Amino acid sequence: MEVMSIICILAGLFFLIVAAIGVIRLPDVFSRSHAVSLTDSLGAFLVLVGVALHEGLSPSMLKIIAVLALLYIQNPVIAHATVRAALRAGLKPWKKEAS
Amino acid sequence: MKIFLLCVLVLLALLIGAYLYRVLQGPTIFDRVLGLNGISTKAILLLIVIGMYFERVEMFVDISTGYALLNLVGALAVAKFLEQRGLP
Amino acid sequence: MTNDSFPSGVRSRPISSQFLILKTTALFVLWILLSASFDWIHLGLGLVLSFTVAWVNSGHSPFVPKFRLWGNILFYLPWLFVKIVQSSLHVSKLILHPSLPIDPRLINVETNLGHHGAVVLLGNSITLTPGTITAEVDRNTLIVHALDEVSEQDVTSKSIESKIAAMFKDEEPDL
Repeated sequence: MEVMSIICILAGLFFLIVAAIGVIRLPDVFSRSHAVSLTDSLGAFLVLVGVALHEGLSPSMLKIIAVLALLYIQNPVIAHATVRAALRAGLKPWKKEAS
Repeated sequence: MKIFLLCVLVLLALLIGAYLYRVLQGPTIFDRVLGLNGISTKAILLLIVIGMYFERVEMFVDISTGYALLNLVGALAVAKFLEQRGLP
Repeated sequence: MTNDSFPSGVRSRPISSQFLILKTTALFVLWILLSASFDWIHLGLGLVLSFTVAWVNSGHSPFVPKFRLWGNILFYLPWLFVKIVQSSLHVSKLILHPSLPIDPRLINVETNLGHHGAVVLLGNSITLTPGTITAEVDRNTLIVHALDEVSEQDVTSKSIESKIAAMFKDEEPDL
């Protein structure tokens, strides 16, 4: 069980690091929001599942699952609100130059 | 296990630094909002891993739940405000 | 602004006892989950508070419980999770590639779902899969920002939409 939780946390950290690299590297708001959604959907899931496996069956594990469900409900809403605000404010998406 | 969790904590703090670079540097205001959103997700994870490190998960999970709810309201308010005001 | 059908102080809709009991139960389960203590003071306080909250806002929305639909949505989530893992691996491959081979584009997606809940579920699913994000929703038309060709195929191939349409085929359209 201990080994499983360590593996889950390490896999989650990999996705978190990739998302941070993406937030620094990508060119504009719209593509950066893809990197942030990568963190929210898979990185947070794997880290929290690792912590829940370490806890075992207990009330705190149920609470961790509740936090996970809350993250999965609220993160698409926030990402959609930010991107819609950017689009309605008249920001043009970055395009690859025709070469 | 303790040392592994300490390494995880340090790594998460460094990742928050990467997002903070985007908040300070971002060309438009939406980049900064996006960076703050990423920071708050990292803060929730950081709180839960701190709870695991001190073996008091049941207390820190409550704090992170409250943080997540406040983050939702704040981010929606900022996005709504920027949408009405337009690009500065 | 006068509104004859909803005079102030009068409920717009009679309270249905079934709905009240259902909402009280849901709130009480949430209370037990968050407090995690089982002595009589906490349980009684939780019961009184959840009944009060359910009674205060019971006249707001025409809410009908649909257990079959909720069960369908619960069985849809694991399929969505497999989709999320696939597209996450694709997006992380794109980000870690040295030459950053992205080609972002905005695409218009026409759906024929005809149901508020179905369109909300579709937009949330598209935003939750990395690589595509819903930028604008107008009734049946979605504007989606996709990171590259493969992510665009995810949306235009309508695999998510056909799955959701199969779940909602028993409901009457309200859009």
